[in-house]
Amino acid sequence: MRKTITILFIFLLSGISVALAQNITVKGTVVDKTGASLPGVTVTVKSTTIGTVTDANGHYSISVPSNGTLRFTFIGYTAQDVNVNSQAIVNVSLEDNTMGLNEVVVIGYGTQKKATVTGAISGVSAADLKDQPNLRLDDALEGHAAGVTVTQSSGAPGSSPNVLIRGEGSLSNSTPLYVVDGQVWDNGGYDGINPNDIESMQVLKDASAAIYGSRASNGVILITTKKGAIGTPKVTYNFYYGIQSVAKKIGLADASQYAQLSDEAAANDGTTQPFTNPSQYGTGTNWQNQIFGNAPIMQQNLAVSGGTDKSNYFTSVSYLNQGGIVTPQYSDYKKATIRINTNSKPKKWFSYGENFNYTYIQSTTNFNTNSVFGGPLSDALNLDPLTPVVVNNVASQPNAAIYENTPGNASIYPYLLKNSQGQFYGVSNYVANEITNPIAAEQLQNGNYNWSHNLFGDVFAQITPIEGLAIKTEIAAKQSFYGSDSFTPLYYLNTNTKNTGTNNQYVQFNRGLEWNWDNTATYTRQLGKHNFSILLGQSAEEESGNLVQDTNYGEPISSYKQASFDFTLPQTSEYGYANETQDVTHASLFSRLTYNYDEKYLLDATLRRDGSSRFGSDNVYGTFPGVSAGWVITKEDFFPKNTFVDNLKLRASYGVLGNEEALSPFLYSPIVGPLGSYVFGTGANQVLNTGYGPNSLPNPTLQWERDKQTDIGLDAVLFHDFTATIDVYDKVSDKLLLDVPPPSYAGVSGNAYENAGGITNKGIELQLGYNKQVGQFKLNLSGNISYNNNKVTSLAQLPYINVGSWQGATYSQIERDAVGQPYDAFYGYKVLGIFQSQAQVNAYKDKSGNLIQPNAKPGDYIYADPTGTGPIGPSDREFLGSIVPPWNYGFNFGVNYKQWDLAAFAQGVWGNKLLQEYRRLDISSANYPTSALNAWTPTNTNTNVPRLSNLDPNGNYNTISSGLLQSGAYFRLKSLQIGYTLPKDLMTKLDMSRVHVYVSGDNLFTITKYNGYDPEVWGGNNNTGGVDQGVYPTARTFRVGVDVTL
Amino acid sequence: MKKRYITYTAVFLMGIGVFTSCKKSFLELQPKGEFAESNYYANPAEAFAGLVSAYDPLLTETGGIDQTYTDVRGPLNCASDDCYAGGGGSSDTPDWQLWNDYQLSSSSGPQNGYWPINFLGVSRCNTILSKLTSVPGLSAATATEYAAEAMFLRAHYYFDLERLFKNVPLITAPITPAQIYNEPQATPAAVYAQIETDLKTAIPSLPITIPTTEDGRITQGAAIALLGKVYLYEQKYTQSAQEFAIINGTPGGTTPQYGYALLSSYEAVFDPNNKFNSESVFEINFTNSQSYSWSNWDAFKGSVYSEQVGPRNWSDATYAGGWGQDIVTTQLVAAFKTPYYGGTTVDPRYGVTILNMDSLAVVENTTYQASYQNTGFFAKKYMGLTKDLSSTGTNILNFPNDYIEIRLADTYLMEAEALVQGGGDVTRAAALINAVRARVGLAPVSATLANIKAERRLELATEGHRWYDLVRWGDAPTALQFKGFTAGKNELLPIPLNDLAATKLVQNPGYSK
Repeated sequence: MRKTITILFIFLLSGISVALAQNITVKGTVVDKTGASLPGVTVTVKSTTIGTVTDANGHYSISVPSNGTLRFTFIGYTAQDVNVNSQAIVNVSLEDNTMGLNEVVVIGYGTQKKATVTGAISGVSAADLKDQPNLRLDDALEGHAAGVTVTQSSGAPGSSPNVLIRGEGSLSNSTPLYVVDGQVWDNGGYDGINPNDIESMQVLKDASAAIYGSRASNGVILITTKKGAIGTPKVTYNFYYGIQSVAKKIGLADASQYAQLSDEAAANDGTTQPFTNPSQYGTGTNWQNQIFGNAPIMQQNLAVSGGTDKSNYFTSVSYLNQGGIVTPQYSDYKKATIRINTNSKPKKWFSYGENFNYTYIQSTTNFNTNSVFGGPLSDALNLDPLTPVVVNNVASQPNAAIYENTPGNASIYPYLLKNSQGQFYGVSNYVANEITNPIAAEQLQNGNYNWSHNLFGDVFAQITPIEGLAIKTEIAAKQSFYGSDSFTPLYYLNTNTKNTGTNNQYVQFNRGLEWNWDNTATYTRQLGKHNFSILLGQSAEEESGNLVQDTNYGEPISSYKQASFDFTLPQTSEYGYANETQDVTHASLFSRLTYNYDEKYLLDATLRRDGSSRFGSDNVYGTFPGVSAGWVITKEDFFPKNTFVDNLKLRASYGVLGNEEALSPFLYSPIVGPLGSYVFGTGANQVLNTGYGPNSLPNPTLQWERDKQTDIGLDAVLFHDFTATIDVYDKVSDKLLLDVPPPSYAGVSGNAYENAGGITNKGIELQLGYNKQVGQFKLNLSGNISYNNNKVTSLAQLPYINVGSWQGATYSQIERDAVGQPYDAFYGYKVLGIFQSQAQVNAYKDKSGNLIQPNAKPGDYIYADPTGTGPIGPSDREFLGSIVPPWNYGFNFGVNYKQWDLAAFAQGVWGNKLLQEYRRLDISSANYPTSALNAWTPTNTNTNVPRLSNLDPNGNYNTISSGLLQSGAYFRLKSLQIGYTLPKDLMTKLDMSRVHVYVSGDNLFTITKYNGYDPEVWGGNNNTGGVDQGVYPTARTFRVGVDVTL
Repeated sequence: MKKRYITYTAVFLMGIGVFTSCKKSFLELQPKGEFAESNYYANPAEAFAGLVSAYDPLLTETGGIDQTYTDVRGPLNCASDDCYAGGGGSSDTPDWQLWNDYQLSSSSGPQNGYWPINFLGVSRCNTILSKLTSVPGLSAATATEYAAEAMFLRAHYYFDLERLFKNVPLITAPITPAQIYNEPQATPAAVYAQIETDLKTAIPSLPITIPTTEDGRITQGAAIALLGKVYLYEQKYTQSAQEFAIINGTPGGTTPQYGYALLSSYEAVFDPNNKFNSESVFEINFTNSQSYSWSNWDAFKGSVYSEQVGPRNWSDATYAGGWGQDIVTTQLVAAFKTPYYGGTTVDPRYGVTILNMDSLAVVENTTYQASYQNTGFFAKKYMGLTKDLSSTGTNILNFPNDYIEIRLADTYLMEAEALVQGGGDVTRAAALINAVRARVGLAPVSATLANIKAERRLELATEGHRWYDLVRWGDAPTALQFKGFTAGKNELLPIPLNDLAATKLVQNPGYSK
């Protein structure tokens, strides 16, 4: 009996093994639900490394055990498993997954199925970005993610925009945290990423960011780069070439108008009119035409990727060459990137991989933008149109003497700049200071450029000792080298802007190193309908850097081309300087528990404990919890079936997030440094002794800024094709870092920092999507709109904080932070109208009979007098509007018909104010905008432009008032693209997968009432929003391109 | 098989564990190029550097809340009847003009310099005093001497604050963040009591003489003289005279131990080549060796005042010229030309004190640029000379001229005044005033208060004492009427607006918040 059993057992076993060994060839076609064949679908034998990809007609052929299972996977479609059951032909129809519920989204230190996500997360995928040639990844967020406000700070090539997630939540630093492939890069590491390498970007807007603890409160942007997919190697090549030009020039007075307006201002002031017979001057120089030009842009990108289920690889190289539209000959930006990553799984229990990126950038964009202190834009806006670009006839110039080689002119003549024909560039007789002839000034850019090398990447190893448990260690580092080279020749541009001493050559070299080491353990288990995942992790980071620079004065040369540090100079002519940045370290522990029951009831809890060297000794560690829950109502039995509601998920989250980026190293500690000096001894015995002492007061309790955020959201899929996500949030930020100047009796030179400020942001976000395919016609629509209400709630003992600077203005600080008002709100007089007569001025009195505006004349602004006491003064100022737009919206439109595709993207903002500070107030001879032609005069009274005046006793032009503010609202067609995909039969002949050609236009039109170059304004000299001092406008670009997939 | 995974896992986790264990020190970084306060004051050199920082505000001529010029003499001179603010125009150095015209407001005026600079000194004294007891390697004797210097300096800063503002917070230990906004104004009596305590504590520990390499360090004599001066302002005349007697010794002789004696030449007292002479009791040491340029703003240790008082658009073989500030009033010129002691002979100190630019320009057959409110008379004692122009740096910022804040002639006259006012030895008082007069060849006068006041004006003209004297004597409303002085208000400076926000301070009478 026993023997029989044994034999039977052996027989059975051999039978099984025979069955296992029997492979058959299976063929088939993969189609979508409309019946169209799907090329490129990955077909694998489940639990093996065997795989193939469908051809251009959706056909495949694969050898498979007769009882095996085939798995069909394709991006955008739900994966499908089919048991072979000895069939020779297996045809499959894949359900498209456009609603993305089965998509996997990246969350901090892991991924999650979209259907079970409980946080407020906005995503931008490679597919969303495919047809938009974004130059930077942060640009790609503009208008795509609800709740994310992206404001271009400058249209100059390579410049970074200002990104805000759910409003300004800090008085010091509201920059989101960027996490690239799981690694936190604080200091701009994402700059170097090739946008073509991006697989997805996820924006964690609520408590879901709590896993990033002390750096999470401004929101977290998770960037995932592309990896190789299973299948035959994929080779893609993209190329485009375009021409950029300025979208809008603004109206500036020409020479006759300039003379006329100068005379008008002088007449109003009762001073001598500087010009006689203004019309004699003609049109003069249009400086805008001089500085703006067309600039080319070209990008090439080549990527190779592939893999098996044991390993995959992705390699890309890209090159971008972009000119600037302002002084194009001297504006150039080149960027080259290389990315290499591989992932390998040699054993079932062991995997490893690396991801490596190198970026080189060289740019010659040393221009002052959004600044009134010189630079081509400021020059073009302020320089008088009477001055010629190049002087043809010295004698005709009002300042002819400076172009003459006389002994008395020895300090000017030799240093004047000349063009290649040997003619002098014009020097203005009227406008000086930093405002110079921009075409002459740009010559000084010769030999100047910035460069950077960025190397960053990571390596990881992961083991899976038991089913469901993954232990991973990952080390990442970013090493950056960057610097600049420049040469300053001898020159004379005007009496204030000149170098008639010695030339100098300058070099600067920076090095930065940042490393992270993360260790995580994730355990995932399914018990019946209970799904668990537990993450435990630990991380350490360090940042350091240094700088070396050198300046050589007086090289024996006459041209920048000869400049060299090899010249032997006296030691006193070589100035070196170096410094080290203060290191920052972090040590953190974090955990997450994710649970769901049948994907119906969802729960996610995170906890992070962050230690940071930035924190005071009393608060070295901070703890940041976050919890969120979700309920998929449509999964309930009681929910009616077969309604228009396909999926409905209710979400709620609460978390405590930190912001430590507002803190500089050692802010908490009194640093003892050099503090004064004193001389002891006399004559030869005299010694200057350096004093040392603490330069600020200690604050050992100094800690992260805190943000308590509540979010309630709803995700819905309706009518199969329509998705909607709505979120309502309340973000309460407190413990904000305040830089409190102590009373001077405290006797400390440095300010005291306290965690005492508060800001709230409350808002609502709506994101909609619609995807429909009808036959050959495929429609893809998406849009988002968000509203955010921002309010400062506490400034502790400070009555207010003044912000901004306006050269030459009555109140140079034009914005103010005050409790109950939005962050950095404009603060000034409210304009009620324009005085039409002296009688009206004299009648404008307070209760005691004092004149409210004693300095006013007819044609001047009438200011509101909220204090009710004349004369008008600083306390009559009021809050005049927000610099941050409360409303943001974006709209994507895509349609494919047969081989043709059309994509459009538009976005806009509403509700913010802008102050235009183009004209230099301290230079009364600066050029005028054409709006000045409509200024009030006794014969032109029906106008809202006040009278011109150089003295401006009423402050019409030199005092911030509602009359000077403009609406910052705009609607902009960011891009429009028409493309054509070559037909499949042609592709088959050419043995290629896809060739797509397109033409596109960026920034085609903008609807705005703002009369400046560009309503997108941020940063600049003011380092604040809403102030336009001549921002570098975003270019209008037309381009043609081709995308090839082999 | 399973076992192997477990081994790997264990090794892996241990690796993580090793890292985790060093975490605490990983977060405790030390600043680069600077020191954490907790690690500083760890050796005698660092204690000395701490003391130097307390000396520094003595010689702060620039900076303060409004970042302008605040020499210890300049604004005081133009507030008095000795000088006008002058300069290039009515808006040149507005703080000085405002005091000159008695148009001070809480937001504008020299209080924006004097208040923060003196409190900076107080704070640094407090810091070093709190550290000196625990500096490794610092001998007890040195620690005591450093402490005595710091106490002198604190007394000096508080004396200036008290005289200029009267109602000031009294802070004698490093301020804590919790206290910052809560300091009340102390009573003048409490402030004076602290000044006296500091000086009395310091005196025994200060050296009587110091080596020339250390010139500028505080001496015992300086502290005694300052204590005498403090008593004089407190109208404690007997105690004042007692302290001054120690310094002054026999009038006209050399003080035993301390070695003080009047110089035979009045002019030599102010000579930058004759620093720390026998008449110098407390001297603020300027240097021409540091090649300062404008980028050193706030840190100058060369005499900028010497540039400020030079005539505008002028340079000749003698005078380097300057910015034409603190020009001499015709009142002061008259005091020299028709002296209080009678006769028509110009006081012999006139030529050392005042430069008549109008006549010099005639002699040299050239011109200078008249200052605002020009009188043609310029303050000469500290005027920058061509021979003293430094050869390196921005030379106008590097004059070597010292300011002898307390000199023997001053202590003679202060003792004489204390004796007269306090009903003391009038014979000694006469001997003191007449020693000062004899040095410039003047005949004796009797020791009346009026004579002492008049003598002080001539002897100490443009040395920064006159305004304090007028206010102390109650003579300011009359003497300064021509400048717009308001009695009951202008005896004090307003407390800077900056410090009234969010604090417990109350503005001085007559000034708005």
